[in-house]
Amino acid sequence: MGRARVTHPSAGLRRVLPFLLVLAVFGCGESDRAGESRADDPSRGAADQRPVEIVDATGRTVLLDGPATRILSLVPSATLTLRAIGASDRLVGRTDYDDEPWASGLPSVGGGLEPNLEAIVTLRPDLVVRFAGSQDRRTPQRLDDLGIPHVAVRPDGIADVLETVRMLGQATGRRAEADSLATAIRSDLARLEARVAPLPRKSVAYVLGGTPPWVAGPGTYIHELVTLVGGDNVFADLDALYAPVSPEEVRSRRIEVVLASGVEAFDRSLAPEARIEIVDEGLEIPGPDLAISAHRLAELLHGPLPPVPPDAESPGP
Amino acid sequence: MNRWVLGAGLLLATVVSVLLGVRLGSVPLTTAQVLEALRGGGDPVVRDIVVQLRLPRVLLGVLVGGGLAIAGATFQALLRNPLAEPYILGISGGASVGAVLVLAFGWMAAGSWALPLAAFAGALLAIVLVFRVATATGRAMDVRVLLLAGVVVAAFFSACIAFILSISPARTVQSAVLWIMGSLAGATWRGVLLTAAYTTPAAVLLIGLARPLNLLSIGEETAHHLGADVEKVKRTSLVVAALITASGVAVAGVIGFVGLVVPHAVRLLIGSDHRALLPLSFLAGAAFLTLADLAARLALSPTEIPIGVITAFIGVPFFLVLLRRSIAA
Repeated sequence: MGRARVTHPSAGLRRVLPFLLVLAVFGCGESDRAGESRADDPSRGAADQRPVEIVDATGRTVLLDGPATRILSLVPSATLTLRAIGASDRLVGRTDYDDEPWASGLPSVGGGLEPNLEAIVTLRPDLVVRFAGSQDRRTPQRLDDLGIPHVAVRPDGIADVLETVRMLGQATGRRAEADSLATAIRSDLARLEARVAPLPRKSVAYVLGGTPPWVAGPGTYIHELVTLVGGDNVFADLDALYAPVSPEEVRSRRIEVVLASGVEAFDRSLAPEARIEIVDEGLEIPGPDLAISAHRLAELLHGPLPPVPPDAESPGP
Repeated sequence: MNRWVLGAGLLLATVVSVLLGVRLGSVPLTTAQVLEALRGGGDPVVRDIVVQLRLPRVLLGVLVGGGLAIAGATFQALLRNPLAEPYILGISGGASVGAVLVLAFGWMAAGSWALPLAAFAGALLAIVLVFRVATATGRAMDVRVLLLAGVVVAAFFSACIAFILSISPARTVQSAVLWIMGSLAGATWRGVLLTAAYTTPAAVLLIGLARPLNLLSIGEETAHHLGADVEKVKRTSLVVAALITASGVAVAGVIGFVGLVVPHAVRLLIGSDHRALLPLSFLAGAAFLTLADLAARLALSPTEIPIGVITAFIGVPFFLVLLRRSIAA
């Protein structure tokens, strides 16, 4: 939902601020995908028609008559997951944030939060994938009223991505593909961890721009990735996901690498000794490419990585 | 209250708030460390914190707070409207459009001056628009038309902002919202010098117009009969006050309540003689915004909270108490 309906620049914007900030996390943005599975899979008709029971990210049990064949995903990272498990031919629509060429032929229902319900009804989906969480209470209610089945996904962290892969595998009847994607992600991450393990850990600040500068705290996906690839977030003491900190906090903490996100210039004088790396926004979005994001992040922190140690060749648990 | 007593008190308050603002911050420093940094010695990190971050920030607070308060007092006198405040001519809307455009088109990459420059240009545009409408009818400027034009122009700019944001990615929306909420965190020495170069002579000029402003606040007719060049005083003081607001908004975003509450509070204490009201409003605004910024830095440290929250949280109850006491008296 990038559409802020604002009537007054100060009062109105203040009101919408909390969820706008959440958007910075889920919002739009592209990721590049490398190595995704091919979309046009002729074998999809073979999916069996037994009823499917799914427990979604809100703990709700959803019963489908059979694997979903007309899917509308309101969550861009879930859309990428559906594509990665070879179910992109079942998508009947997209959001304004799914702007990759392969999706652009599909009709859009607007933003992922509070989408256009009329557009959804027109698409006759047999499954809507939506955001879990409280930013949009209206859509699940209205979908229930309209009798359109929906499952909630939570795209907030590594575990959430794996859970989404599993859930969408169930919903589409493509469990094998989902399992192999999840296994690939796990083993890629395990290998990466082993490669960075011998390297000295780097102290890192993830800065989103703004004045005062906004930084990522613990509990964010980016904190999770940075920690995994051998970085220590210098703002691990924040009690918010993302928060504006006093400039003097940035200046006083020992930072080796500043990961600066987005186009806004980071004021270098706040961290004169640090190396500043510009990170593209796609890295912030937890999706099926997370192992690729983690690898890119590791190279930003450490430079070229040492070769894979032989004992880590086999996939992790 | 005696104006000299209040003046001495406010001057002291301004000095104390400046000292506190340099002494305290989210990074704990000792007095010795701060003093050594001010003398140019000590740890380079501490020196940067004190000399490059805290000092310009505190001085910017003095200039912007004082500027907004004196501009608010001037607008209240000229428009003879107690609701008048520095942003009433649509200046905040114009500045916000400028800032939002910079953020939406990614012009931030051009340099750190791009945003304040665009905000200032937007504020100027609002001022020109409003003044042209208010003077279109004839030679005399009608303050009622000025007020209405200000409100309408502000509404138009709000719509522009809403439109630009509705076609912008979420990241732009976030940055724009944060800018509009206002902060002194972006203070630099260059910003302080630029603001001071305008705000100081402008404030002196407004204080110099205090006598005709006294007459004008009674009524334009009366002022005319008493020998004031009404049109000239009106135009000069409106333009000067509008430009103070524009320069403040360019460096610190839209900070509410200072320009509305501070002049009223001072007026409740010493009456509405502008020879005292204008300079004392400047001092009160300076001390108030500097202390509000300190609270914004300390309350949830290391996180900063928007300064507008503090100015409203402190300013409104304080003002309501004053209002009640003055009605009771």
